[in-house]
Amino acid sequence: MAPSDVLLKVDDLSVSYGHVQALRGVSLEVRTGEIVVLIGANGAGKSSLLETVLGINRPEAGSITFKGRAITGMAADRVVRGGISLVPEGRGVFAAMSVLDNLLLGAHHNLSNAPANLRRVFEWFPLLGERKNQLARTLSGGERQMLAIGRSLMAAPSLIMIDEPSIGLAPIVVATIFEIIVHLNREGYTILLSEQNAYKALKCAHRGYVLETGSVALTGTAAELLGDPGVREAYLGA
Amino acid sequence: MQVLIAQLINGVSLGSIYVLLVTGFNLLLLVAMIIHFSYPQVVVFSMYVAWVVLKYTGNNLLLGVLAAVAASILMNVASAPLFQKVMQKRGEVDINSTMVLSMGIGMIITDVLSHSFNKGFPVAFPDALGGSRSILKAGLISLTMGQVVALGVGVIAVSAFFLLLYRSRAGRAFRAIAEDPNGARLVGIPLLSTGFASYAITGLLGGVSAILLAMLIGSASPGLGEQVAHKVLAVSIIAGLGNLVGGLVVGLGLGVLEAVVQGYISGSWSNAIAFVIMLVVILVKPKGIFGVKL
Repeated sequence: MAPSDVLLKVDDLSVSYGHVQALRGVSLEVRTGEIVVLIGANGAGKSSLLETVLGINRPEAGSITFKGRAITGMAADRVVRGGISLVPEGRGVFAAMSVLDNLLLGAHHNLSNAPANLRRVFEWFPLLGERKNQLARTLSGGERQMLAIGRSLMAAPSLIMIDEPSIGLAPIVVATIFEIIVHLNREGYTILLSEQNAYKALKCAHRGYVLETGSVALTGTAAELLGDPGVREAYLGA
Repeated sequence: MQVLIAQLINGVSLGSIYVLLVTGFNLLLLVAMIIHFSYPQVVVFSMYVAWVVLKYTGNNLLLGVLAAVAASILMNVASAPLFQKVMQKRGEVDINSTMVLSMGIGMIITDVLSHSFNKGFPVAFPDALGGSRSILKAGLISLTMGQVVALGVGVIAVSAFFLLLYRSRAGRAFRAIAEDPNGARLVGIPLLSTGFASYAITGLLGGVSAILLAMLIGSASPGLGEQVAHKVLAVSIIAGLGNLVGGLVVGLGLGVLEAVVQGYISGSWSNAIAFVIMLVVILVKPKGIFGVKL
């Protein structure tokens, strides 16, 4: 799909938790049809950025525009209703609830389309369909990641934000998850990804931003970043 | 044997009211994230509202029931912004500060009841409410209307509640918030409005409990709320705070225990004995019999 108009625009965004400044004047863009990856070490501000876009943190400065509408400081449930969903770091699966209930939670604001969306999610992740009545706590890490991604699809989002999809997963499972991400993108979903596993992420992304201590240190196409000596040294271990 | 059957009937009907109350208490704990210690006092206040309405409408039962339910829902929903404000001010969920607020509400209710209604004397519900009407009498065993209604309505209300919890959109959101409030926010569940719904639903349960209590015990006094509040808190802790299924079992258990003590030992000692037994249980199982679910 050809990247075209700007779907999400973050402009000069600053966020603090008490005295700790998590983001300092971050600007970035995600265009429709892209996979954009945020690269950075632990604490660089990747999760803070995603959570601020979702409306969890209130920014002290800057603006967030989605589909041309300002969503800065909007409550998370309204942002989700507006078409952004988050796959949280560590999956955020509700272990004591069934797989089906977890999926339906994602459809909280979109319940009338839930049957059709459920069918689609089960087509993509047949395993979730087989286990829909099992408690989510019985799933493995990779299966939980699939459940979390499936849940985000239930909201029929225009933008899916995935926070550290590979964290805590075996390499072979990580490969599957990235295949899923690419597949979703081909199906038309725009994806903003945060990842410490920079190589894998850049391999599947169109563009990337390198975050360092809360600000954008570098940006470019995925190929440019993969070739950048600084990136290679700091994030690719080369 | 007859005494045992009679007391089991007493116990199960009283227990079903405890179950309703502890279910409401636990729901507020899980979803609104408050310890509404004085929730039973709101219920007793609603009993008084029913009493007043019955008195001035010439015992119009429908109006009396509606008034109690409306009063309970209104009191709960009206106090929701207060609780939510306290939690917001603290910047995080703080169960302790909401407990202080709840105790304050309870004290105000008790004072209002002891000054403004019936000169502070206990109020007796009219026979028209029909709670003491005998349905069956065989030897020592007797079955009153109040007992049958308390048990029947209790079972229906608790079943309806669990159906809502496990089969509806709101119930799903309740369970998600109960398990992980932050995670629920990340998937787009609105915490405030969902919390608000839990105040309304506990208000409804409370209104139903008020009518059942009025039918079963036939009277109310300003101190009743506090007495019931202690029991509801105890049941919730013994079962495991926030454990809905546990509350069901222990609530019924407490009703039966009290009734059996009344039947075999002494009515006036039933509270003390019940609390001694609960004390022993909590010493052995500090996290409750069924485990804390918070």
